[in-house]
Amino acid sequence: MGGNDRILKQLQEIVGPEYATNDEALMYPYSYDLTWNDPHMPDYVVLPKTVEQIQRILRLANKERIPVVPYVTGTNIGGLCIPEEGGILMDLKRMDQILEINTEVGYAVIEPGVSHAKFSAALKKHGYEFGWGVHPASASVLAMAINHGIGHLNGRFGINSQMISSMEVVLPTGEVAKIGSCAYSNSWHSLYPLPMLAGLFIGWLGTTGIVTKLGVWISKIRPYKDVLTIAAESAEDITKYMVAWRDLELCDEVTAVSWWLAQVPIPYPYKEKPADAPEWFSYTVISGWSEEELAYKRKMWKEVVERERAKGVKLIDYEYPPEAKRGRTELPSRIVGSTKNYSKACGGGLAWPGTFTPCKSWPIIYNKWKEIYIRHNLSPAVRFTDFRGSHYGMLRLMTPFDKRDPKAVENARKAMKECVEVGVPLGLLPYKPPVEYWNIMNKYADPGWIMLLTKIKDCLDPNHIMNPGKLGVR
Amino acid sequence: MGAEHPLVRKDYEKLAELYNYISMCTHCSNCKYLYEYGAKENFAAIGCPQGDKFKLDSYFGSRAKSSLARGLLKDKLQFTDSVMHAVFTCTTCGACQQMCETDFKPAIMRTIEALRAEAWRFGKVPEAIKRWSNHIKVERNPYMEKHSDRLNWLPNSVKESLPKKATYVYFVGCTASYRQKQIALATVNIFKALGVDFTVAQDEWCCGSPLFRTGQWELAKEFAEHNATLLDRYGAEGFITSCAGCYKALKKDYQEGLPEGYKDKLGINFEAKVLHSTQVIAEMIRKGEVEFKGKFEKVVTYHDPCHLGRHCEVYEDPREVLKAIPGLKFVEMPRNRKFSFCCGAGGGVRAAFPEYSLETAAKRVAEAEETGAEILTSTCPFCYRNLSDAITLAGSKMKMMDVTEILSEVLKK
Repeated sequence: MGGNDRILKQLQEIVGPEYATNDEALMYPYSYDLTWNDPHMPDYVVLPKTVEQIQRILRLANKERIPVVPYVTGTNIGGLCIPEEGGILMDLKRMDQILEINTEVGYAVIEPGVSHAKFSAALKKHGYEFGWGVHPASASVLAMAINHGIGHLNGRFGINSQMISSMEVVLPTGEVAKIGSCAYSNSWHSLYPLPMLAGLFIGWLGTTGIVTKLGVWISKIRPYKDVLTIAAESAEDITKYMVAWRDLELCDEVTAVSWWLAQVPIPYPYKEKPADAPEWFSYTVISGWSEEELAYKRKMWKEVVERERAKGVKLIDYEYPPEAKRGRTELPSRIVGSTKNYSKACGGGLAWPGTFTPCKSWPIIYNKWKEIYIRHNLSPAVRFTDFRGSHYGMLRLMTPFDKRDPKAVENARKAMKECVEVGVPLGLLPYKPPVEYWNIMNKYADPGWIMLLTKIKDCLDPNHIMNPGKLGVR
Repeated sequence: MGAEHPLVRKDYEKLAELYNYISMCTHCSNCKYLYEYGAKENFAAIGCPQGDKFKLDSYFGSRAKSSLARGLLKDKLQFTDSVMHAVFTCTTCGACQQMCETDFKPAIMRTIEALRAEAWRFGKVPEAIKRWSNHIKVERNPYMEKHSDRLNWLPNSVKESLPKKATYVYFVGCTASYRQKQIALATVNIFKALGVDFTVAQDEWCCGSPLFRTGQWELAKEFAEHNATLLDRYGAEGFITSCAGCYKALKKDYQEGLPEGYKDKLGINFEAKVLHSTQVIAEMIRKGEVEFKGKFEKVVTYHDPCHLGRHCEVYEDPREVLKAIPGLKFVEMPRNRKFSFCCGAGGGVRAAFPEYSLETAAKRVAEAEETGAEILTSTCPFCYRNLSDAITLAGSKMKMMDVTEILSEVLKK
């Protein structure tokens, strides 16, 4: 048994005896995730159902100086929910209600346990959608959004955290606060024009409080969709095309994957690409309200391709397999949400170095990563996605590895850390980063940034109970 | 082979054999949710009855099972009462397997059974399962009944008319023999009315399904070997059964091995045609060989038994039979076919955890009620039993009927 029975008894009094445990067998699945991050056991697992229960748990944790780790499904690929210092793992899956879908204003309000599957099904009944990234259907919409998760509409709207419109949060010390328009009325429509206090809880990896309700903007499903594809021999050429295309702001998404990521599953260990195969494959999803709108976007896309070709960018025509096309146009889909592309037959391990990086650095970093990965006998299975905003986006290297073999795990860990090390000075900002990535990032960080981060953390969480260790500063 | 892996405990022989499969579980949580996209609607629902009830990740889907197996094999966990509870509250419904997309998928059910096989070594098996397991060795049924009473459901007049040789042996199964006898009777009456060349075995033993599902493979083998001899004895080419659990046992457990690279589960030499009664009837309907005498003017919804549906992918035959019945209005529950929700009885759960089992059944009954149906039907006497108990307990106005019962009301004799 972990923890002690005195604390367990208090937790059970708060949530009910069946929803708090310190039994090692029952806590074991919470001690590790897909990645190479070292496992740690929690001392307690507790499953609250209400905000009031969360408040009481946090007050208890403060009084007793016990770490608290928020958790919903544990599907993040960064070890974020592994309890570095033990403590209370707060599993929020029982808080699974969609509280409001407001199509008149265009937002929805959800609890942490609402899965992408549940949310997308409910929204679709109203003709609406929300960004669905590469994750299982059970993944939490709220956890994804507050941790800067991406969705399938990132070319149109940016990342999912940019869609947040309001929130309710329980501070580490147990107080409840509403943020955004919901602080003034029962409307959850906007964070603006108020001070951006939501930023105290977005991207902090659960180290500053527990977000208990989230308002997000939702968008109407466009009935016409198509996928346009093109290939290239080099990362430089595919990047030039992607930037030129996204400049027009006509797509829902534009992504490119290296040959190794296009394989199902990713070759593990490294396999040489056939000489006659292009190294990069790109797809872009376009959508519209009519066939005419779609035809216009196709025409504009063709013009971009021709214009880039005229500039000497070598682009190769290729057709997307029909099933893959269906997967992209009928989102959310099992094809996109599945892990089989990445991890089938590899031995259970999956992690990545990446991700938010200026597009101009993609080819430079990719070529360095390729050298590192081939040296480590791993496939350079890289994805580029240009998010709305400046020309920046995902540069991510999906890495399967064999968890049965400690040497293979260590090899993957070393390769990935090496990638982060070369990437950060070129603009790479890892998202949902494991602690070991933070340690690299913080070497390069502006001291003022670290000071501010630390001050805010200390202010909100004076006893350092919230997911300790996960920022690499506290 | 996994058993040779240097980092796993060798004494968990049955689990160690599966280590290479267990390791393929990425811990991704795909198994926790049933979902599918569609042009009009996206389907999304909880599929795991165990996770739905106990909520902790140690109970949810195949991820929980691989995690427990890993913990044991890597000596991080001991086989405690908590492990026993997490292992034996699984109904083996296969909803997690339906959603898994890793290479763990083909070995998920086998892993659950292997965890249970290991549990026997430590005596970490629920008392109720131990009780019926002791009984089944002697009386060949898990219902604490006498083997000599097995055919008591069969009227003498029918018994005497059964041929010594026939194309098919009707494999009745324990639940229809001792509890839901009306299903056995309805099945026999239908076969007679339709002219199916069948007989009923004088010495049928339990198909072994409860033994397979609770990890007692060696004992199950004894049952399979006995039942396999029945075909020769009656000169039959195959079995017809009206039970989903028997169907899976006869069709898959007796005849199919495990995923490539692993030795056969039983190692018995048994190859035979195995049909569910609704498959036989559906085929005759398709050929125009079934005549009806009246109408069944009721709204009916169908519960897919996990063992017939997800495990053996028989989804359409029972529906074809129901839809062919004059007057019957058929409605689907939201969770149907591969996304069906378990009745809560399987995997030894009904005997070992009756309250939780009925709670699960009640969720299914509530789902059936929401369709507006008056009749809840299925093709498994064991599902029948649990669902009808839940209907009674809830005071529901629904009525439970087996597909054969409905059919026998309107079939031209």
